[in-house]
Amino acid sequence: MEPELASKLVNGLKAAGINFVTYLPETRLSQILPLMRQDEFFQLAPVASEAEGVSIAAGAALGGKQVASYMEGTGVFVSTYNLLTIAERFGIPMLLLVSYVGSAADKRNSFLYVRRGTRMIPVLEALGIEYQIVTDGENLETRIKDAVRMMHALKLPVVLLFTGEFTV
Amino acid sequence: MNRSACLESLVPHITDQLVVPSVSGQWIWGHLTKEHDGNLLLGSMGNALGVGLGMALGLPHRKVIVIESDGSVLLSLFNLPTLGALKPDNLVVFVFDNEKYSGSRISRPSATAAGTDLAAVARDCGISHAVEVRDLDSFKRESQGALSRQGLGFVVAKVEETLEHRQAERSTADLTENKYRFVRYIERTEGKAVFRGRG
Amino acid sequence: MEKDVAQKTAAALKGAGIDFVTYLPETRLSRILPLLEADSAFKLVPTSSEAEAVTIASGAALVGKQPAVYMEGTGLFVCSYNLLTVSIRVGTPILLLISYVGSMADQKNSFRFAPTGLRTEQQLRALNIEYQIAEDPAQVETQLQNATRMMHALKQPVALLFTGAFTL
Repeated sequence: MEPELASKLVNGLKAAGINFVTYLPETRLSQILPLMRQDEFFQLAPVASEAEGVSIAAGAALGGKQVASYMEGTGVFVSTYNLLTIAERFGIPMLLLVSYVGSAADKRNSFLYVRRGTRMIPVLEALGIEYQIVTDGENLETRIKDAVRMMHALKLPVVLLFTGEFTV
Repeated sequence: MNRSACLESLVPHITDQLVVPSVSGQWIWGHLTKEHDGNLLLGSMGNALGVGLGMALGLPHRKVIVIESDGSVLLSLFNLPTLGALKPDNLVVFVFDNEKYSGSRISRPSATAAGTDLAAVARDCGISHAVEVRDLDSFKRESQGALSRQGLGFVVAKVEETLEHRQAERSTADLTENKYRFVRYIERTEGKAVFRGRG
Repeated sequence: MEKDVAQKTAAALKGAGIDFVTYLPETRLSRILPLLEADSAFKLVPTSSEAEAVTIASGAALVGKQPAVYMEGTGLFVCSYNLLTVSIRVGTPILLLISYVGSMADQKNSFRFAPTGLRTEQQLRALNIEYQIAEDPAQVETQLQNATRMMHALKQPVALLFTGAFTL
């Protein structure tokens, strides 16, 4: 991801009020982490598994934080149980920032990622989780705000799947 | 050592703490502290440490208590290095280790029966105040110390298997109802809205 | 599960050639475990998470064992990552014996199980895992043989969801 796009993404999250982010680092979107780390608006929680990334974000949301969990696409499969038994069962508003590895627009797609990528949408739909695919920086702030408004309205997790320009 | 006796000994110390019970003793704890709006019943294994950690990070001035079991901690063992790395100083974890999956009707042994020492694992993950206790007096001493001290507490209580939870009164409050009771309690005591969005 | 149903199920597993069973115990089908343990035809492997139960069974399949993984329905969501990235991706025939908690015919259904249980079949379909529902002990021998034949034909995980009389 180009540095300019990373800044745009982080500014969009801040403008939408996201102030608590759990994460397990991955390749494609990782430039957002140093930007968030240097801005005290964000409280960051590094985790050892996306599973706890979701549960920790849920706990923070119950304490009044506006939360996001940043993960690679494969992390959705790691955290399926937590998404279902905590985020969805309890109705927790949470933004999932997912690097959509293995998608058609993933500029680094290969045999390593593609089979996981093709199961992403079916699994999100099986879990009943709303999602949007974001391929470029156009209207990014608006799209993040829309997703955050949706998660608060639903009181459920909402997913932004980042591919295309974000995977350069 | 008996788990109910341990839980009963905690009750007088519960004031405004946020308590996240996992599946171990959830009905017993719920019954003992039914007036406490700061309880959040999760009803699933492997989630209480994570949710409790999130609360502790999100509300660093509030004490958070997690009540766990051996099977549930083993299911999400990756929580321990994360706890050791983040070291929230307002979180106290009690793990009731009966070395069994006693919810399974036939009580199969868990890995702690084969020698896994959860307090030692926790210490090796950087949770320096992780202790194991085997009698009620030690539990009272360590639990009261952990609750009164500022710092991450981790108390593994080795207990015998009991089936008293099967006789305990089970709340019919749905998990979502329980969540909103908890959320309104946070809003009341913190003076802020938890969930956003227009009415 | 009544004792005679447990005996019938254990005998049917043996008849279908299953010889390696990983598990995380749960309530409804747990009476099969002492029977499997008492029979030297089975290698029984206790685990701490359904995630590792799937991975261990896949390893055993790759060295010639005929494995099954016994778990509660919620375990399917815990091991989705392992199913996808190991069993499905590599193509290892393993039989998933799933206690279908929260299903319509679950005799112990409650608010704790139903909302997550209703996602079970959707999740299996999202992962492209073939499955059948077992609710009549009279059919269990045939169903286990059919499922085992299918998993060997596909070289993929196949699931049997146990409910009805199996959840008594």
